[in-house]
Amino acid sequence: MSNQDATVNDISMAQVAESASFANAPVAMSLRNVSVAFNGRTAVRDVSFDVPQNAVTALIGPSGSGKTTLLRALNRLHDLTKGAVVTGDVKLGDIDVYGGTIPTTVLRSRIGMVFQRPNPFPTMSLYDNVVSGLRFNGVKKKSILDDACEQALTAAAIWDEVKDRLKAHGSTLSGGQQQRLCIARALAVEPEVLLMDEPTSALDPISTASIEELIGQIKNRVTIVIVTHNMQQAARVSDQTAFLLMAEDRAGVQIEVGPTSKIFNDPDDSRTLDYIRGRFG
Amino acid sequence: MTTLHIDNSHHIREHLRERASATIKRRQFVSRLMIALCWVAIGLAALPLGDVIINLFSHGWSSVSSWAFYSQLPAQPTLVTPDAVGGVSNAIAGSAVILGYALLGALPIGIGIGVYTAESDSRFAATLRLVVATMVGAPSILMGLFAFGLVVVQLGMGFCIMAGSFAIGTMMLPVLAASTEIAVRNVPATLREAGLALGAKKSTTSLRIVLPAAITGIVSGAILAISRAIGETAPVLLVIGGSQAFTWKAGDFGEALPFMIYQDASSSYPAQRAQAWGIALFIVIVVFFLSLTARIWANSKQKERR
Repeated sequence: MSNQDATVNDISMAQVAESASFANAPVAMSLRNVSVAFNGRTAVRDVSFDVPQNAVTALIGPSGSGKTTLLRALNRLHDLTKGAVVTGDVKLGDIDVYGGTIPTTVLRSRIGMVFQRPNPFPTMSLYDNVVSGLRFNGVKKKSILDDACEQALTAAAIWDEVKDRLKAHGSTLSGGQQQRLCIARALAVEPEVLLMDEPTSALDPISTASIEELIGQIKNRVTIVIVTHNMQQAARVSDQTAFLLMAEDRAGVQIEVGPTSKIFNDPDDSRTLDYIRGRFG
Repeated sequence: MTTLHIDNSHHIREHLRERASATIKRRQFVSRLMIALCWVAIGLAALPLGDVIINLFSHGWSSVSSWAFYSQLPAQPTLVTPDAVGGVSNAIAGSAVILGYALLGALPIGIGIGVYTAESDSRFAATLRLVVATMVGAPSILMGLFAFGLVVVQLGMGFCIMAGSFAIGTMMLPVLAASTEIAVRNVPATLREAGLALGAKKSTTSLRIVLPAAITGIVSGAILAISRAIGETAPVLLVIGGSQAFTWKAGDFGEALPFMIYQDASSSYPAQRAQAWGIALFIVIVVFFLSLTARIWANSKQKERR
């Protein structure tokens, strides 16, 4: 037990040091009393916090605490699921995400997403994968697409590896490269917010490290909300952390939200401390 | 609880080992027996199939291997020239044309229905799914009667190639729809979500991501439908009228390979009956190569993606 404490503390001391810098940042997204229910069963209840701009917000918590469910509520991906109901207020800047004033397609191009497993489109080349979002939204001009492709791949730190084989299929890449390709694909449409759903859970440690490094680089151009099972990862990459837990009725509830350094060093709630210290989960 | 002497435990170990080796021997015996039974079962299943193929080749090869079979129109043998049966060029062309028109209609509609039923969870889609499932199992003569009633009689087109295409098309439609639905459903949900998360419309996602990803399954389904349709006799028998002339025109009386088998097989001239065997063999060979190319194509497509 004491060993574990030492590890967690080492991480939190070393890597969380500069994470309070977002304190005065504008709010990219705000959540107020957000609940998600499937066929009448509440999966996430009453989540409220702000997502600071150009910072990384991590959603942590044990399995079943509703992290992914909450994340998918932010870009209306639950719209596809029959019986899913999202209540409360989700705002992107001033725009009410569920207000009907913004078409879902436009919304989703402003709030991008990266998934658990790399999912490049199997029938498309690397190039076509990266520019697919632009093409779906009607961009046809080759010069624009070419520029966007190079930019996005450069931002995703994979340009040098693939620039000579843009016509190859996505499946020719390693898992880590595929995930960076998917990040490039999401960045190509220039979203304001990027949702990442456990983006490294299917990757090896080296690829994971490269994705984490990448997250640090791209937060200058995009606000990131990342779901992770891995507390060390949350400590390493995020500025703000939201800790969720499964309540008695199996709905995910928010226990504590704050600067990552505070959550990892001096949380207000004893349950947060227990989770951070590895007592459950 | 129980304390075992060293002697005793040694004894138990020995006993367990004997038991184990006996068990292994028994298992090996049962395993070999079962494998032998599998081979017997395979043999029993393959026997009639082999018999059919041997018969097809021994009776039909002489027709299939002659150029006249493909190039000439059928001739009526007489008592003086009992072997002058001609070829079946009209039936080959007829079958190809019937199939071509049928595919022209059935491919887009069938694939469309399949994609729709796979991607929508509306009540209408559920109803459509049920209709498709029912139609897959419907006897083909029904499609023939349908084509007869609608095209031949009501539309007043009379017996013609178009009516045959209509019958074959309605027969292929549910097969295409069902196989497309399965292929589309097998596309991982994460691809769909990735498309939507990029701001694509649902229809764009279906057409530009899901459909291409499902294409091998759809083509396999199409080949299966063609293979079934090419040998289908009942529906064309009712509506194409039969013709000794070579024609590509949709409004003409037409001839089809299975129809020709039916006519030849009831002939009193041995040469015509041999021609029937030849046509049957020809159909089997065509279907075989269709399936083979579909397989090879699907495999190469799979490899390309890996």
